[in-house]
Amino acid sequence: MVAILQKRKLRDFDWLIALLAIAIVSFGAWEIHNAQPTEPYWQKQLIGLGIAMVAMAAIAFSDYRRLVELAPILYVFGLMLLVIVLIPHVGMKINGQRCWIKLPIAGQFQPSEFVKIPVVLMLAKYFGKHRTGLLTWKELFMGCVILGLPIGLILLEPDVGQAITYLPLLAIVLFLSSVRMWMVVAVLVACIAGAPLAYTVGVKTGLLHGYKLERINVILDPENADKRGFGYHTWQSMVTVGEGGLTGARGSEYSQSSLKFLPEPHTDFIFSVTAETTGFLGCLLLLASYALLLTRLINDARRSRDRTGMLVIMAIVGGLIFQIFINVGMALGFLPVIGVPLPLMSAGLSSVLATFIAIGFAISVQLRRFVN
Amino acid sequence: MKFVDDSQNLRVRLRLIQVLVLVLLGVLCVRLYLLQIVNGARYAEVAENQRIRLLPIPAPRGVIFDRNGNMLVDSRPIYSVILSREVTKSIDYSFIKPLADGLQLDSEILRERFDQVKSQPAFESIPIKEGATSADIAWVDAHQLEFPTLRIEQTPQRRYPENGLLCHALGYVGEISPEQLKQPEYRDKGYKPGDIIGQEGLESVYDEYLRGRDGYRKVIVDSRGHIQNEVERVEPQSGQDIVITIDLDLQKAAEEQLRKSPQGRGVIISMDPNNGEILALASAPTFDPNLFSQRITTKAGRAEYQKLLNDPDHPLINRAIQGKYPPGSTWKPLMATAGLKQGAISIDNSNLVCGGGITIGNKFTRCMGGNHGSPNVHFAIEHSCDGYFYRLGLKMKLEGIQSMVDMFELDKRTGIDLPHEVVSTTPSRELKTRLYPKDPEWKDIDTVYSSFGQGEDVLTPMALLRAHSSIGMKGKMYVPHLLKEVHPIGAVGNEPTRSDYRAERPAHTFDRPEPKNLGIPTDQSDVVVQAMWAVVNGGGTATGIKLVGFDIAGKTGTAQVVSLGKEGSEHKDHSWFVSYAPAYKPEISVVALIENAGLGSRFGAPAVRAIYDVYYAKTRTAKEKPDSNIALKIR
Repeated sequence: MVAILQKRKLRDFDWLIALLAIAIVSFGAWEIHNAQPTEPYWQKQLIGLGIAMVAMAAIAFSDYRRLVELAPILYVFGLMLLVIVLIPHVGMKINGQRCWIKLPIAGQFQPSEFVKIPVVLMLAKYFGKHRTGLLTWKELFMGCVILGLPIGLILLEPDVGQAITYLPLLAIVLFLSSVRMWMVVAVLVACIAGAPLAYTVGVKTGLLHGYKLERINVILDPENADKRGFGYHTWQSMVTVGEGGLTGARGSEYSQSSLKFLPEPHTDFIFSVTAETTGFLGCLLLLASYALLLTRLINDARRSRDRTGMLVIMAIVGGLIFQIFINVGMALGFLPVIGVPLPLMSAGLSSVLATFIAIGFAISVQLRRFVN
Repeated sequence: MKFVDDSQNLRVRLRLIQVLVLVLLGVLCVRLYLLQIVNGARYAEVAENQRIRLLPIPAPRGVIFDRNGNMLVDSRPIYSVILSREVTKSIDYSFIKPLADGLQLDSEILRERFDQVKSQPAFESIPIKEGATSADIAWVDAHQLEFPTLRIEQTPQRRYPENGLLCHALGYVGEISPEQLKQPEYRDKGYKPGDIIGQEGLESVYDEYLRGRDGYRKVIVDSRGHIQNEVERVEPQSGQDIVITIDLDLQKAAEEQLRKSPQGRGVIISMDPNNGEILALASAPTFDPNLFSQRITTKAGRAEYQKLLNDPDHPLINRAIQGKYPPGSTWKPLMATAGLKQGAISIDNSNLVCGGGITIGNKFTRCMGGNHGSPNVHFAIEHSCDGYFYRLGLKMKLEGIQSMVDMFELDKRTGIDLPHEVVSTTPSRELKTRLYPKDPEWKDIDTVYSSFGQGEDVLTPMALLRAHSSIGMKGKMYVPHLLKEVHPIGAVGNEPTRSDYRAERPAHTFDRPEPKNLGIPTDQSDVVVQAMWAVVNGGGTATGIKLVGFDIAGKTGTAQVVSLGKEGSEHKDHSWFVSYAPAYKPEISVVALIENAGLGSRFGAPAVRAIYDVYYAKTRTAKEKPDSNIALKIR
């Protein structure tokens, strides 16, 4: 009986998603090697991949419903981690941000990457009950509280980039929890119309000033921005991407990253390195892989046997597409420079592990679609 | 959908999210297409430009030799500290203080350099210190992490002789100035900021020959300007060596004479009258041209330069072609030559009254030598009789004197191959009017003054020497020059079609202009030559310098300094002696002007004699010295 179950599990296991994720990380490790050939980042990334695969399998073969039941405990634990990281001498300060905890063996890890998972589970648990009517104000408020606590703590680090990657988690869950359509439209319109308005008002009133204003101006006109100052990252990234052409720049010995023109090539700007080495075709392939992965996840969500599972997967999808769009948009010079890693590509154990755990949940959900 | 959901069309909402995901990825693809496919080539060029640098390899300038192959000027390699400019970042002024402290530099001068470079986008390297010591190099090595853009490079530096030897003729090199860069003559030759060019003297006149053609290294740099690799190297082509007409021994003797002179100020020029080659050109006081090629970028060097500019003795002036002096009695042989040619006097009847002086109106102008009776032209030159020339001048009139000036081209530049030659001032009505607006008319007394070299006319020593040499040459007057020949230099590079190919530069010999024929009948010039021979070898004013076996012909002169009547050595007369030898077949001519010394016979003539001594020893001793052994055999 156990054997039959195992066999069936293996057959139903979403191999495509797992293999896609592993393939992207492997590809990413190669690009990390291109970005920093002399540093051991790519080896670390591959070790991270090994650990992440074990974690993904463990999550996939466990019952997500049990884990969702444990969500409040995990959530509180996550909040505790976010508090601990703020304590001086425990949290490591890098570039003025205190967002790393140093562990004796595993090295350093970034709680804000992992806390997304309990947040997703918590949202799924709260909004996963059988639904008959429209979203209530109380539900909306509770959703904001669940999301607001970790965001508040992350802003104290301060890590704005990580904080905003939490927003789509709630947005997706609300959208799928019968939020009124006119509210969705209203928010969208407010965003589209409000951005230029806020910019104008901000400049006029002087509220928007200094480096924040400069960063926005860079995006509005990267060609004429101060390419040696605020516009440096954006401009160099655009040059790196553009240089790749159709099939990648030849002579990778002296790439933009190896000559250190491109900053943070193995983390935030890994997409630019990919664009330089593999060109338009390589980038298309990567984006297509993401599209396939996300589409597959959405399909799994659709076939989920309960609302909770569906919400878990869709929140993960929301988080992933948002991060991909922000990161690549930054690398292509039309979004401001914010420290958001590219999922599965950027070097960083925390990011890879957290993403694989999330995918593990998705697989677990779709593996149990027939189980009662 | 496995579960029942009655809420608002979940299926559609999921589909919407699916569409949104694909739209967002599609937006990224479009942007990617614009960057990589549409504008890819442009960005590739930007990337290429920011990683490729052309670092010039400065070419050494050509060596300057004297006529006997003695090296006068060369370039030696020194180490320089250079700061690469980071293309991608602005100039970091915070470097100034640590660099100034670490390399013992003046931070003000360093700041000036940074400012200069800032305004010139094409300039990628900032020279920080020339002539770096081993301590400096060690400091740069030790601070590679802090200042990765600092590097040490070997550059050629011009080295001039000690003690300012020949400094006025050689000139000096210096960095091209921002003002020069704006002038088309420099801009069109492709000079760039930081280039070293000839700024004075022969260095400037023959810069085209002397200047090498820089090579370059094409290197790959990282964002901090650190050199990663050399892609290409084009060797520099050295400048062409030049040989000048100077004879180092004569030059040294001339400078020695000036150093020993009462004020340490004056000029000695020696020339080969047969072709205009300058054998010695000494002007005192001198300066050290190494100041300009080596020390001008230091604080001490700038103070030294300021001191030179403010020196009342004007050491930077080349007195040979920029100093103007009243010719005094050296004017007389020129007058005599012209008087004979114009027919004011003749060979057979050249006697004029001296009378101890002349009265014009109610003013008596006396002859400095006393009353000579009615001497002929030979006697008048030999004994420098003023009274004779007063009357010769009155016979020739101003027009005759002006025609003499015209014949000897005293109102023109001599055309020597040195910059900034001034034009002598010669007698004319316009000059009188300009100098004396209250008494503008030309009068006989002015003619008298102009006839013995004490008028308002002032000459450069070079112009005077040229004129006198032409008398010795029986009316052939050459253009003085310093260049003898230019050595060739081979091509650099293998493919003549490439832009970095440096073609061979051929040898070149000085293009001597045809001499001017003054049209003086030989018997007339012989009269003057004989008289000048007698000045030294007869009973004349310079018998003290007679050199047995070498017939010097010359003329002393004592030029009154304008501020007469004042006491003190700085108001003493200038002492002239102009000469050529041997008198009837001249090989060499020499002029000396010793400033504020006194009589020409006492200072100018002995100084000239010292030059002839050296010349005689060089050319005669071996073969013509009376052999004492021969005398013994005869006995």
